[in-house]
Amino acid sequence: MGRMLLRRVGVFAVTIVVASVIVFGVMAVLPGDPAVVALGVNADPELLQQTREQFGTDRPLAEQYMSWAGGLLQGDFGTSYVTDAPIGPVVVDRLLVTLWLVGLGLVVAVALAVPLGVASAVWHRKARGTALAAVSQAGMAVPAFVLAILLVSIFAVRLQWVESSGWVPPAEDPVEFLKQIALPVLSLGLVQAALLSRYVRSATLDVLREDYLRTARAKGLTPGRALVRHGLRNASIPVVTVLGLQVVALLVDAIIIEVIFVVPGLGSLLLESVSNRDLLTVQGVVMVIVGVVLVVNLLVDLLYVAIDPRLRRS
Amino acid sequence: MSRFRTIAAVGLATGLLAVSACSAGSSADPPESRDSATLAFTAEPANLDFTTTDGTAIPQVLMDNVYEGLVKLDQNGEVVPALAKSWTISPDRRTYEFKLQQDATFSNGEPFTAEDVKFSIERVQSDAWTISLKSYMDPVERVEVVSPDTVRVVLSRPSNSWLFNMTTRVGAMFDPKGVSDLANQPVGTGPYELGEWNRGDSIVLRRRDDYWGEEPALRTVTFKYFQDATSASNALLSEGADVIANYQALDALAQFEGDDQFEVSEGTTNGEVVLAMNNASGPLQDIRLRKAVMYAVDRQALLESTSNGMGQLIGSMVPPTDPWYEDLSDLYTHDPQRARQLVEQAGGPVRLRLRVPNLPYAVAAAQVVKSDLSEVGITAVIQPLEFPAAWLQQVFTNHSYDMSIIQHVEPRDIATFADPAYYWGYDNPQVQRLVAEADTGTPQQQNARMQEVARTLAEDAVADWLYLFPNVHVFAADLNGVPQNQVGESFDVTDLSWAS
Amino acid sequence: MSSAQQAEPRQPRQSGGRRKVPASLVIGLVLVGMVIVTALVSFVWTPYDPLQIDAAERLLPPSPEHWLGTDRFGRDVLSQLMVGARTTLFVGVIAVGIAALAGIPLGVGAAVGRPWLSTFVMRGIDLTLAFPALLLAIMFGAVYGASTLTAMVAIGIATVPRFARLARSGTLQVMSTEYVLAARVAGRGVLPISVRHVLPNIASLLLVQASVSFGIAVLAESGLSYLGFGTAPPTPSWGRMLAEGRELIAVYPLLTLWPALAIALAVLGFNLLGDGLRDRFDPRLEVSR
Repeated sequence: MGRMLLRRVGVFAVTIVVASVIVFGVMAVLPGDPAVVALGVNADPELLQQTREQFGTDRPLAEQYMSWAGGLLQGDFGTSYVTDAPIGPVVVDRLLVTLWLVGLGLVVAVALAVPLGVASAVWHRKARGTALAAVSQAGMAVPAFVLAILLVSIFAVRLQWVESSGWVPPAEDPVEFLKQIALPVLSLGLVQAALLSRYVRSATLDVLREDYLRTARAKGLTPGRALVRHGLRNASIPVVTVLGLQVVALLVDAIIIEVIFVVPGLGSLLLESVSNRDLLTVQGVVMVIVGVVLVVNLLVDLLYVAIDPRLRRS
Repeated sequence: MSRFRTIAAVGLATGLLAVSACSAGSSADPPESRDSATLAFTAEPANLDFTTTDGTAIPQVLMDNVYEGLVKLDQNGEVVPALAKSWTISPDRRTYEFKLQQDATFSNGEPFTAEDVKFSIERVQSDAWTISLKSYMDPVERVEVVSPDTVRVVLSRPSNSWLFNMTTRVGAMFDPKGVSDLANQPVGTGPYELGEWNRGDSIVLRRRDDYWGEEPALRTVTFKYFQDATSASNALLSEGADVIANYQALDALAQFEGDDQFEVSEGTTNGEVVLAMNNASGPLQDIRLRKAVMYAVDRQALLESTSNGMGQLIGSMVPPTDPWYEDLSDLYTHDPQRARQLVEQAGGPVRLRLRVPNLPYAVAAAQVVKSDLSEVGITAVIQPLEFPAAWLQQVFTNHSYDMSIIQHVEPRDIATFADPAYYWGYDNPQVQRLVAEADTGTPQQQNARMQEVARTLAEDAVADWLYLFPNVHVFAADLNGVPQNQVGESFDVTDLSWAS
Repeated sequence: MSSAQQAEPRQPRQSGGRRKVPASLVIGLVLVGMVIVTALVSFVWTPYDPLQIDAAERLLPPSPEHWLGTDRFGRDVLSQLMVGARTTLFVGVIAVGIAALAGIPLGVGAAVGRPWLSTFVMRGIDLTLAFPALLLAIMFGAVYGASTLTAMVAIGIATVPRFARLARSGTLQVMSTEYVLAARVAGRGVLPISVRHVLPNIASLLLVQASVSFGIAVLAESGLSYLGFGTAPPTPSWGRMLAEGRELIAVYPLLTLWPALAIALAVLGFNLLGDGLRDRFDPRLEVSR
C-alpha cells in the first residue's frame, strides 16, 4: 500500500513539473516585451532596459523558467507587470472563492443526483423511471451558463428571491452569502446532477442484480439494509471516479459562471488577466488550475483504492 | 481500518479548508444604507497609476474624488476653482498666478502647498510620466513658488488650452511623499481616499475626515465592475447596485423607462465614436479610398442599429458642447454610388483589416460598417482584440491596423490630429499650424482656427466620425447628484446623496 | 495509469434477447439529422441573407415574414441559426477529427508497442487531461488571438485522451482474442494485424465515442463563443448569438431562447445518438465522457 502510494505521488510530481514547463512554454511564445507594454513604446531606452532587468525578462528563457518554477515551489508567484502587486495572495484568495463554488456545486450535484439516480433505477421499467431518465438527458444537454442566464432572469430579477451577483465571504455575512451564492451554485450543480444521476442509476441497477446482494437477502437482511451494507461500497466505486471528473467539469463551468455572477474567483481572474495582457498572472492561474485538476485526480485514485480492496495489490 | 483513515483524513482536510476559506474573497459590499452607494461600471482599472497607464478607467474613479487639480470643470464644461481659490492671468497671457486653498491636506496628512504644485507640474514633464497626454504640459516653461499659498506658472507661449487641460489628469496634484506606490496607493487631496480595492470586483472609496472643502454626503462609494453588462442591469434591478453609469444596452432601456423606481438621464458627452483610418500606411493612405468609406457608411442607420437611435451624428471630432462646434454632418451624405466610383478610381476592390476592441458598441458598429462597405467593393475583415491591453498595444501603440472603431472621451481631443505620432498617422503641417495658432491666439482666433481645423479634417476624410456616444445613466430614483453630463474623464461622486 | 476509469454508465441488458432499435437511437438520429440537414440546406438556401443588415427591420417579433424574428441589426434570426449550424458542425467535425486522428494511433500504439512507449504515451495522455478544453482555448486565445481555429484545436487536443484510452483498451481486448493470437503466431506483423483486425473491431466503439464527444464539443464551443473566444463576428455562431441576445434579455427574451434551444437540441441529439449506438452495438461497452 505504501509503495503504491509513493508511486502515485511520484507520478503526480513528474506530471505537474512537465505541465509547468508546458504552461511556461506556451506563454513565452507570445511576442512582445513586457517592459514595453508597461512603459509604452515611447519610453526611454535606458528606462526600458532597467525595467527589463527589474522584471527579469532579459535573462535566457531557461533561467526565467527555473526562477519562476522555484518561486512557485515556495509559494511565490511573482509580481505582476501590469498591476504591480504580488500575484500569490490574489491567486490564493480567488482560488478559495472558486473552491466554495465548486464545493457547494458538488454538494448540490450529489444531493440531487443520488435520489434521482436511485429512483430512476428502482423504477426503471416504469414510466416514472423513463421520465426521470429523460429529465437527466435534457439536463445534460443544457450548458451551465445558459441555465444560469435563465435562473437569473426568473429568480433574481423577476421574483427577487436571491441576488443576481456579488460575493460576500461567509464569515462576514452568512445570509447574504447564501443569497448571492444560491444561483451560481444551482447553475453549476443542476447540470452536473443530471450527469451524475446517470452513473448513480447505472451503478444502482448493477448492484441490485448482483449475486452477493441476493445472498445477503437470503441471509435475512432487508433490501434496504442489504443495499447499504454490501451494495453501497461497490456502487460507490464508479461514482467516486466520476466525482473526480465532475470536480474538473465544475471548475471549468465555474469560469463562465463567475463572469455572469461577478464572483471574484479564479475563472474571472483568468479572463481579466488575459484581457489586460497580464501574462505572468495568466501563467500563475493556469498553473493553479492544472495543479488542482492533478491533485483531484490523485485524490480520486487514492480514494478509489481505499474503497476497493481488490485494487490494493496492483 | 486504513480505508476509513484515508476517508477521514480527506474529510478533515476539507473541513479545515472550508474554515479557512470562510473569509476568502473579502469584498466590502456594505449592506444597503443611506450613507453609501454602489455604482456599476464595465472597465476595471488594471492599476491606479494614470501617469503611466493609458485608458480612462483610472481617472474615472480617481480624478476629482481622490485626486484634485488646481481647477476642475463644472457640469457646463466651464473651468472653475478647485485647489486654486482664484487666479490671475498676465496681459501677455503667459503668466498664471494661482492663490491656493489654505487648509488642504493630502490623505497621508501632509499639507498641500505651492511646493506640491511645482513638484506635480515638473513631474509631468519628467520621465516619471510616460503617457502621451503629458504633452499637455509642454507649454510650461517654469513654476515659481511665491509663497506657501501662491504659485506662479510661466508658459513659454500663450496657450488657450493649458488651463483647460489642467482640469484633466495632468493637473492632478501629488505629494512628493505620496508617489512611491501610485499603482496601488493613490495619495491625493480629494474628499475621498482609497478604502479597499477588491481586484476583479470593486474599488471602495472612503470619505476623509480632514478634507478642506465641503464634506460629501456619502461615507462610502463603491465602484463595482461588471464584465457583463446584463449582470449590471440585473444588479440594479435587484438592488445590488444603485447606478449604472454609461449604460450601453440601449435597446433594453425600456425595462427601466416605465419604472418609477428608476430614473434615466441622458446628458452631454465628449465621447466621439470614431472609425479610425490609418493615414500613414496601407491602402487608406489614398484619400479617395477614405472618402469612399465616408460616403459608403450610412451613419444614421448605424446609429439606429447600434445605439437605438440615441446619440448624435457629428461631422468632425467636435461635440456640440465645444465653443467652436459647427455641424458638418452633412458633408458626406450616404451615397454608395459615389463611393463605388471612388473605389474604382483608387484601384478597385480592396481588403482592409477592421481591428476593433471587443466592446459591445465597437463590435456592433463594426458589423454595420462591414456590411455597408461590402456594397461598394471594400471587404472589411473584423478582428476583435481584447480591450484594453491587446487593442492598446497593437492599434494604438504599434499602429498595426487599417481601420478601427473606438470611443474617444477626452475633452477637446481634436488636437490629437495635430500630432503625427498619434495613431491616426495624419501629418498635415497646415492643421498643425492652425492648432498651434488657435492655442496661442485670442479666444476669437481660437474659435476661428479650430473651426477651420475641423473643416479641414472633414475635407481630408481623415477619419469617419460615426456618432457621439449617448451619455445615459440609469439609477435609483431617490439618489441625487448623479453627474448627468460627461465633461471630463472623471466620474464625480462628491455630490451624491440620498433623498430623505 | 489511473485506475479510475472514466466510465459511462452501462445500460441494463434488454430482457428477452431480441434487440429492438432503442428509442434513444431513433430520437438521436432525428435530432442530429435535423442539424445536419439544416446546415446543408443553408448552403443552398436561407430565408434571408444572415448578414443582411436592415435598420428598419430591427428587433421584430416572430412573424410570417421572419419566422423567428430579427435581431438588433435587423438580421433574420432563422437564417442566422441555419448558418450557425454550419459553424457548430464544422467545429465538432474538426475537433473530433483532430482527437480521433491523434488519439487512435496513440492508443493503438500504446497497446501494441513496447512497454516504455506505452507508459510514455499514457502519461502524456494523463497530462493532457489536466488541461480542460476551455482552459486551453483561453490560453491559445490569449497567445494567438481568439478565433474558430484556436477553439477547434483546443477542444480537439482536450478530447484526444478519450479516443486514445478507448483505442488502447479496445485494441488490448482484440489483441487477446484467439483469432489474433493465431495470426501473430503465424508470423503476421503488428501493423497488418492492427489494420485488418483491430480497427474494424473498435470502429463501433469509436463511433459511439465520436458522437458523445461531438456533443461535448458543441457545448464547449458555445461557451467559448459566449466569452468571446470563439468565432469572430459577423459569422453566425450559436454561442455568440446567445451572448448578443443576453444583452437584451429583459426586453427581447426570444433572442436568447432560440440559440439556447438550438444548442440544447443539438447536444441532446448527439448524446442520445451515442447512447443509442452503444445500446445497439453492445450495452456492455464502456465509453468515456
